[in-house]
Amino acid sequence: MNQQEVEKVLQKAAEVKVFCEYGQRTIPVLDDIAGFLNEISPAIEDLKAVLEVAMVNIPKAAGQLGRVTEATEQASTQILNTLDKMVATLDQVITSVSTGMVSSDLGVATNKMAEIVKTLVEKSGWDSDIVELAEAWAAHLRSIKMSGTTSDLERLLKELQDDCTEIMMALQVQDITQQHIGTVMGTIQAVAEELRKLTTGFFSAPTTQAVSIDLPLPNDSEVVGDMERKKMVETLLSKARAGEL
Amino acid sequence: MASIKILIVDDSITIRRIITNALKTVGFTDTIEASNGKEALEKLTSGKIDFIITDWNMPEMNGLDLIKEIRTNSVHSNMPILMITTRGTEHDVVEALQAKVNSYIMKPFTPQELKEKIDGILKTVQVSTE
Repeated sequence: MNQQEVEKVLQKAAEVKVFCEYGQRTIPVLDDIAGFLNEISPAIEDLKAVLEVAMVNIPKAAGQLGRVTEATEQASTQILNTLDKMVATLDQVITSVSTGMVSSDLGVATNKMAEIVKTLVEKSGWDSDIVELAEAWAAHLRSIKMSGTTSDLERLLKELQDDCTEIMMALQVQDITQQHIGTVMGTIQAVAEELRKLTTGFFSAPTTQAVSIDLPLPNDSEVVGDMERKKMVETLLSKARAGEL
Repeated sequence: MASIKILIVDDSITIRRIITNALKTVGFTDTIEASNGKEALEKLTSGKIDFIITDWNMPEMNGLDLIKEIRTNSVHSNMPILMITTRGTEHDVVEALQAKVNSYIMKPFTPQELKEKIDGILKTVQVSTE
């Protein structure tokens, strides 16, 4: 072995030494990585299971919300049908009551008749037939005095009709909730879609696209009350009319 | 009150009935209905209509596109139009105004609010045509 060959062996020995030193430093790191992978492996399996369950449950939840919308729409239609019938019936009753009032409102003629009956009784010397006529007339007068009550009845019926209208208007909530539920369903479906991409990308094939969830955020009209929203709209309309928009 | 024929455009049958009944209580009894913008355009060409009340969110053709179509392509370009909707952001209102809607009302509304809006629009339209 000549000098050159000795130097070559020493160089190789130095390389092996460096490699061994590097190995001594990297082996613990590799051990740690292997340990970490062993530890998270069940967690990844759990996450996969959770995502699989979510992929089944999320569309189910969206379906349930859809059924809520259908059920409220059906209920609203039934309530509207009943209210329509009630309003029509109330219309007929109010017409009958007001017609009855007109026919019983004899006014001056009634008073004149009362005077004539009274005179007849006195002139007849309280003849029994005339007295009977007077009593019948008194009963008739009492029914005429009922017109005040009849007037109250008409007012009450009209109030009932107004109440029916109020209930009807309150049913707008069905359409409002339907639209909000529609937005929530859209959000749920977007989440489901992103989860699907995540599961297929992470657990099956490598994905080339970055996973991002672009969800519709609630707009300012959804975080303020009805009155506030209406005020805001009216302010904007006024500005538009004034050419300020 | 002069009788006017109002076309109600909304995809919800419940809301169409509510608007019809609300209009009836404030004296507007002559109404017809359409369930989307496309159907509304068909009704508009097939009969005399004086006023349109439309929703925004509808399938086939939404309320905003209906307004744009009427304002640009239709012989009824001066038709008074009121939009009734749940959309109430500044962006929504501005977008509707840019499409040249006459006025805008938020759900839920009362029959009285509806009447005031219609009367207001009719007054403005009358003044501008005089």
